[in-house]
Amino acid sequence: MGTNEKLNNETSGSVCETKVVTMVEAVNAALHRAMQNDPSVVVLGEDVGTNGGVFRATVGLKDAFGCKRVMDTPLAETLIAGISVGMATQGLKPVAEIQFMGFIYAAVEHIISHAARMRNRTRGRLHCPMVLRAPYGGGIHAPEHHSESTEALFAHIPGIRVVVPSSPTRAYGLLLSAIADPDPVIFLEPKRIYRMVRQEIKDNGEGLPLDTCFTLRQGNDLTLISWGAMIHETLQAAKLLEAKGIYADVIDVASLSPIDMETLIASVQKTGRCVIIQEAARHCGVASDISANLSETCLLHLQAPIFRVTGYDIPMPYFKNEHIYMPSVNEIVETAQRALEYA
Amino acid sequence: MRYFKLPDLGEGLQEAEIVEWHIKPGDTVELDQIIVSVETAKAIVDVPSPQAGVIASLFGKEGDLIHIGEPMLEYAGEEEADTGTVVGEMQTAGQDTEIDHFIIGSGNASGNRRTLATPAMRALAKRLSVDLSQVEGSGQQGLITTHDIEKAAQLTKDFGEAQPLKGVRRVMANNMAKAHAEVVKVTINDDVDIAEWYHKDDPTMRLVRAIATACQQEPNLNAWFDGANMSIRVIDKVDLGIAVDTGDGLFVPVLRDITHRPLDDLKNGLNQLRSAVKARKIPPSEMTGATITLSNFGTIAGRYGNPVIVPPMVAILGAGKIREAVVAHQGEIVVHPVMPLSLSFDHRAITGGEAARFLGAVMNDLLKAPA
Repeated sequence: MGTNEKLNNETSGSVCETKVVTMVEAVNAALHRAMQNDPSVVVLGEDVGTNGGVFRATVGLKDAFGCKRVMDTPLAETLIAGISVGMATQGLKPVAEIQFMGFIYAAVEHIISHAARMRNRTRGRLHCPMVLRAPYGGGIHAPEHHSESTEALFAHIPGIRVVVPSSPTRAYGLLLSAIADPDPVIFLEPKRIYRMVRQEIKDNGEGLPLDTCFTLRQGNDLTLISWGAMIHETLQAAKLLEAKGIYADVIDVASLSPIDMETLIASVQKTGRCVIIQEAARHCGVASDISANLSETCLLHLQAPIFRVTGYDIPMPYFKNEHIYMPSVNEIVETAQRALEYA
Repeated sequence: MRYFKLPDLGEGLQEAEIVEWHIKPGDTVELDQIIVSVETAKAIVDVPSPQAGVIASLFGKEGDLIHIGEPMLEYAGEEEADTGTVVGEMQTAGQDTEIDHFIIGSGNASGNRRTLATPAMRALAKRLSVDLSQVEGSGQQGLITTHDIEKAAQLTKDFGEAQPLKGVRRVMANNMAKAHAEVVKVTINDDVDIAEWYHKDDPTMRLVRAIATACQQEPNLNAWFDGANMSIRVIDKVDLGIAVDTGDGLFVPVLRDITHRPLDDLKNGLNQLRSAVKARKIPPSEMTGATITLSNFGTIAGRYGNPVIVPPMVAILGAGKIREAVVAHQGEIVVHPVMPLSLSFDHRAITGGEAARFLGAVMNDLLKAPA
């Protein structure tokens, strides 16, 4: 991890502070740290400067680093992504915010046709070290276009990383590594858990590896795989299962592209049973791809079908019916029990 | 609170019509003062103010339809708290701080070792009532094949279910396999003439005494050998393991310190151990720590044996069935009772000379007249 080493060297000598933060505050701390350590890091997006971001992720950056490095843009996602590609290929490290993932589609042309293939089409002459941050996911009673989980669209595109944190500590470490990474990263922040828990983090500028899963709980009976906000429900389900004497591995995939299949395979070969939990719609989701991969690699170890607990194949409902759409702790527990019923 | 929103009036109603405002902008209201009457599909409801304050403005006039959650009025001088979002509601953390526990990458992968079989094979095994954990796979990397399952099913059909080893028998199987894999064993045999004491002394107690005597002459056989580290511990105290046959399997209780205790005491000790084994009441502590072993299989049948040494011990003496034999005695052909002996030793730790001298010392002691 050459990039991480660089990051660490640059921060040596600066003060390491221990902070108690929510996930959105951890994102903010990582942005401050990255801008402080690397003058080529710039932040741009709608309301990121004066307003501090609609979720407060960029609060204080403009005051600390000035309007040349923290830029409010027009409401034009095409422009945000396009400018970022230009900046990135010419030596800056833009960290752009797409206010909600539901608005990202206008930026897709730049992400797929330019950012993702810049290194390949220029035969390595140019690369594109940009990060596109976007709050995503449902469960906050937001209006239409504000609640989707379309991570699979981007995980399908070669040439970009897709990273999803699920805790303050991991948001801090993963965002720092995403910014330091030499290639484009779509950094999806599950907004439902932005302020759900507080954790103590060490604000020391140290990144976490981007190519790996994180094992959050260990057990031999069953593997529960998830990412983003659903980690919260998955951990609760694991606790309920433990009360019944069933011990589950809980794995946070964290990097949806590339996926650390090695960790997932090791766990499923150990337990023989697997449930994958995603908030996104079922059809062609990341869960489907993980399931396909595991069935190819773990067939001989499997004691039961690989189950998926997902949202439905419909547009995310308006907030009155949102709770019906979202996968619940109960659904996870019941599906786990189905997997365990196979002798 | 800056904006008062139409609360849920219950009964699943989603909207209400403003019938009458009881206040106007500029009025000072108290907590619970009725501010508005609204008509739902079912009734007219008086809505109280949730707080004291001054009314800044009203949203909606009498006759307007208001939905649940829509603002009805604004209080003056109140700042709306930052909710952290422009749309919807954020779930916020309490005051508790969590520690984030995670392992980067894989956790402990050494879990249950699963049998390797495709789903079709598992279904076949279920249909034929074959326990896959008892089947050894003959396919690639131990994969269980159709043939393996059918063979297992046929075996069960022809000969009944295989009984899994339990308890003492399981321990015996493991210990013996380990011993066989590790020890470089040599066994030497001889017969000893016991006419001097036959029918006068207890053969087992004579064997105990003979081993005690031989250990004093050839102490190297009373030792623990560590083959992995190439080290040996020659032990002063002789703790004799005595093999006892039971229906449940082989037990080896330990008779402690046989060189220094009087024979009567040893005999009592041995009887106690035997009855404890018989009653299955022997504590595990009484079956560990032996430094050399005696197997008196001659109480049942058999002449010579090839006894197995259980590491870290280095020697075991086996005694076969006492028989009448034609022997040369002081130049005469006579018929005397003889006891066949089999001494196994670990040739990694013991030389042939040491073992032969040990066996010689045992035989000398067994030749002697009753005590």
